[in-house]
Amino acid sequence: MNTNSNVYTVIYTTIIVVVAAAILAIAAMALKPMQNANIKAETISQMLTAAGFSSKEDLAKLGNDQILAMYSQNVKTAFLIDKEGNQIGELKTEVNDIELQDNLKQENKNIAAGDPKLPVYVFEKDGAEINVIPVYGAGLWGPIWGYIAFNADCSQIVGAYFDHESETPGLGAKIKDEPWFREQFKGERVNFSKPDDSFDIVKGGAPKDDASAVDAITGATMTCNGLDAALDTWFKAYMPFLEKKANYKQEG
Amino acid sequence: MNEELKKTLLNPIFKGNPITVLVLGICSSLAVTVQLKGACVMALSVIIVTGLSSLVVSLLRNSIPNRVRIIVQLVVVAMMVILVDQVLKAYAYAIDKQLSVYIGLIITNCIVMGRIEAFALGNKPIPSLLDGLANGAGYGMILIIVAFFRELLGSGTLFGFRVLPESYVPNNLVILPPMALILLGCIVWVQRSIQKDLQEK
Repeated sequence: MNTNSNVYTVIYTTIIVVVAAAILAIAAMALKPMQNANIKAETISQMLTAAGFSSKEDLAKLGNDQILAMYSQNVKTAFLIDKEGNQIGELKTEVNDIELQDNLKQENKNIAAGDPKLPVYVFEKDGAEINVIPVYGAGLWGPIWGYIAFNADCSQIVGAYFDHESETPGLGAKIKDEPWFREQFKGERVNFSKPDDSFDIVKGGAPKDDASAVDAITGATMTCNGLDAALDTWFKAYMPFLEKKANYKQEG
Repeated sequence: MNEELKKTLLNPIFKGNPITVLVLGICSSLAVTVQLKGACVMALSVIIVTGLSSLVVSLLRNSIPNRVRIIVQLVVVAMMVILVDQVLKAYAYAIDKQLSVYIGLIITNCIVMGRIEAFALGNKPIPSLLDGLANGAGYGMILIIVAFFRELLGSGTLFGFRVLPESYVPNNLVILPPMALILLGCIVWVQRSIQKDLQEK
């Protein structure tokens, strides 16, 4: 057969491409449930790490089911808020039916458009409430996101965890890989008096007397700038809620 | 195992190593060698992709129209890479997250296409499979050697565990790609002083 004729070439390439596409589609569909379960467990383990229930390393050793169970046991309630900080919906927390608002990319757009549905996950640890909120933004190469845990009246950060899609290993990726970076967030506060710039990641070291600033990572300026902007944007979106919590506790 | 197959299998590991002798796959060996763990998974993924792609192209070799053979090869390679990525996402999510973009970039690894062009197109499926696997292994070996030195000197750790004392100041230059190229140069130097026939007159 003449394998170099035009007709043969066109038919051959068509068949190859269709077969390859079919194989990939089947593989994607077959693996999707497992991938989604992994992503969900990963998101939850990031929250649990931020809230201080366990460390990411220990959670990585657990199966997905155990992580979901751990979430369900420790979470008190989870709900959605609008831009004024009013509760507008519940998220289910039963172990077999855990709902997360984890499409942060979409919410990031909604924040810019002024109509977000932002999740708040309230955990209970040693009798005290811990409020966990997500942040999301652009790093140097791709999205970066994380979870920030606040104490009961949202006056202080008690933990944080960050993740990224494609930051440079050894540089920008340190926002996830270096424990010291997220440890610094403990005890920091959101600066309510500066709504547009309520948190800083400072190159060359944060001033000691500034309770709303942490040190940046050497060699990861762009990633740190991106994270700084992400924190500012999301803290601003959550600010009505955070302030409400703080005032309520003071009056009460 | 006969002599021919043995040669196909062993040659790419040292004597005809894809990185140090054929000088293929240099780019990715600079990028993924900052940490040992990533380098190991990357090596394994490349072994699987080179092996299976060579096998499939070899099975198709008599039917591929010559004019579009590169495109057909690319489709096969891309499909394998996406499959590996999807399987990792389902069964080894943590590692897939760590390797992030590099799994997808196996498509651009010159070794895969290089071996298909040079070997799989003209040989039977079984030798092609072995050639692909062996070239992946030869690539992986260099990757792991480079990553060993880069993680040790650049972070003072191996597989994430600290091995050098806290007082060791990590050498940030080793983390950067240029240093990987210099390390690679050293490996080529060592190999050429052992294997005299590679030296140019």
